[in-house]
Amino acid sequence: MNRRTLLGGLFAAASVPALSACASGITSLDSQGSSSGGGGSSKGGVTIGTANFTENQVLGYLYAAVLRKAGVKVKVRPNLGTREIVIPALKAGDIDLLPEYQGALLNYLAPKDDSAEPGTMQNALTLAMPSGLQVLPYGQAADSDCFVVTRETARKYGLTTLADLAKQNGKLVIGAAPEVKKRRVGAIGLKEVYGVEFKEFKSLDSDGPLVKGALKKGDVDVANLFTTDTDIAADDWVVLTDPKNLIPSQHIVPLIADRVADDTVRKALARIGNVLTTAQLTELNRLVDKDKKDPEDVANDYARQHGLA
Amino acid sequence: MYELFKNLGTWLTSGANWSGSDGIAHRLAEHLQYSLLATLIAAAIGLPLGLLIGHTGKGAFVAINLASFGRALPTVGLVVLVFLAGGLSMLPVYVALVALAVPAIVTNTYAGMTAVDPEVRDAARGQGMRGHQVLFQVELPLALPLIMTGLRLALIQVVATATIAAYVSFGGLGRYVFDGLAQRDLVQVLGGAVLVAVVAVALDLLLSGLQRFLFRHRTA
Amino acid sequence: MTIDWSWIGDHTDDLTSLTLSHLQAAMTAVFLGVLISLPLAVVAHRIRPLRGFLLGVSNVLFTIPSIAIFVLLLPVSGLTRTTTVIGLTVYTLVVLLRNTVEGLDSVPAKTKEAAKAMGTRPLRTLLTVEFPLALPVIMAGVRIATVMSISLVSVATYIGDGGLGQLFTDGFQRNFPTPVIAGVVLTILLAVVADALLVAVQYVLTPWRRRRA
Repeated sequence: MNRRTLLGGLFAAASVPALSACASGITSLDSQGSSSGGGGSSKGGVTIGTANFTENQVLGYLYAAVLRKAGVKVKVRPNLGTREIVIPALKAGDIDLLPEYQGALLNYLAPKDDSAEPGTMQNALTLAMPSGLQVLPYGQAADSDCFVVTRETARKYGLTTLADLAKQNGKLVIGAAPEVKKRRVGAIGLKEVYGVEFKEFKSLDSDGPLVKGALKKGDVDVANLFTTDTDIAADDWVVLTDPKNLIPSQHIVPLIADRVADDTVRKALARIGNVLTTAQLTELNRLVDKDKKDPEDVANDYARQHGLA
Repeated sequence: MYELFKNLGTWLTSGANWSGSDGIAHRLAEHLQYSLLATLIAAAIGLPLGLLIGHTGKGAFVAINLASFGRALPTVGLVVLVFLAGGLSMLPVYVALVALAVPAIVTNTYAGMTAVDPEVRDAARGQGMRGHQVLFQVELPLALPLIMTGLRLALIQVVATATIAAYVSFGGLGRYVFDGLAQRDLVQVLGGAVLVAVVAVALDLLLSGLQRFLFRHRTA
Repeated sequence: MTIDWSWIGDHTDDLTSLTLSHLQAAMTAVFLGVLISLPLAVVAHRIRPLRGFLLGVSNVLFTIPSIAIFVLLLPVSGLTRTTTVIGLTVYTLVVLLRNTVEGLDSVPAKTKEAAKAMGTRPLRTLLTVEFPLALPVIMAGVRIATVMSISLVSVATYIGDGGLGQLFTDGFQRNFPTPVIAGVVLTILLAVVADALLVAVQYVLTPWRRRRA
């Protein structure tokens, strides 16, 4: 049982006629995505899992809103943990659907793959997919990992790109979620691609209060955040650019179990993927983090306003 | 399972895992520091409280209920609450650990005091001993075994719970548990858990040894 | 740190369902704990050599951090309620086993001999004489195990469960004290109410103790 499902039922009833689906044209059902694993059915309901940060919960509830509109019974399990935890849970059948990010997911499934462009990444993802799982077409919204420093730190060490970090090898402390220590878009890739070696890796959280607090306080010099975080602009932090493309394209992509992936689900998720933009997603995150709105309410309101629910 | 334990052996015996600021040796020292300090603070609060209640017989009902109320406090909630109120420091961790340890110390100290034979107490008073003399020369020594039990229980719970420090970015052996969870590295989680258990058992044996040493002249 | 009362007002349904889910996890664990500890306690009580072993194992289990138990169960039972319940049950065993053994020990040998002399079979003696007499000590264990479980459920929030514990991680991530305060208060209330109910149950189950008091 989870606490949002009760509220969810109320909102599912309110539906508005669809206005303009397929606005962006980036995705179309025919041209991309995998064709594997026919025969799934969402009749028995779909359980959506989400990782342990705000945006993923917003996305999970957005998926829930459009699926409900399509007549699918959904249940959302928010805040389950890191990708390292939720993907095994997806394989095991504890959950059926996850909002994912192209590049990060590809790094997890095929660490050696260096595709960077969304289309080739989608193909690479399809190839790397474990049996029983598939990715659906990616949406137009994207949210990348990024590495930021305070304006002061940037000035002090002359930092504008990730490559500049290597000039300060052994001096700087990086703060990030614990899993980033072992990820390519993280300590490992920064060392391999840019030759960066930090003085210390501090295990904090995924774009949460610990990592942002530590950056503000000066406990860490470099912080791993997400580009859709409005605090970056608000606090005038400097995002270090990535000239060697360590950080891949991170379009949002539904990762789903074959067992529930039928046409109803595909179509519904393609609609949200086509409508939601990065700027809108950033604003939804802000509503949850700053205005303390429920991720579920924020998602439902958005879906209603855009004719998705 | 077998694989997990084999890897645990490698993890525990690899020299590289023991050294450095995130090495086992350092994490062990941090864990001991958190646990011992928290238990000391809890003892400084709980012992006088338990002795006072036991000696005077006043406020027992309130204290015992407060203690069981304290046992219900969710550690995670307490840590987050103090963090939100006061920002990032070790304070949330110590508040939660002390809150966890005080009830065990108070209830056992009080129980030890009430277990003292009233006739012995009266006899001491009859010999002209003053209140504080009765407390420190008669009641306290007799209550000591149960007081020690309370301290041991508190310490074991604190050692197991000090893992929470890692949730709010600090060190200790909990680092392996929380990092291992995030990375789904079960060997690391198991390693952290085993080390915590070893520390708890070792400290408990140490305290029970101390207890036996202190009471070696006593015939039971 | 202020409480946003309107948030509480808007979330009474959520708070209710989380409280119920919290209670369900804790109660299932205590129930299973009792079910497992009773036969184990009888074994530990009757067979001396096993006693030290069983109590020792349960004591060591108690020293393992609860979060680690939940995580280590992931390969077995995944991100499910089952993981939460197994983890909590392990913890209740420590208290329940120790108290049940002590309770059985406290039954006077003469009482048991009297039952034997009257031709009562061992199993019947256990059920109709020993358990009832040990009940006060066993119930004390059940009360401690219940309060402890209610307080520990929230740790399972790290594996996506945890009942009211979800309010803690939510409030933490969003720097939002209201859900955290609500969660702490409800957890304590739950523990106090459950404890009071158990006292009432014990009162009903042991009528012979009432007359004495």
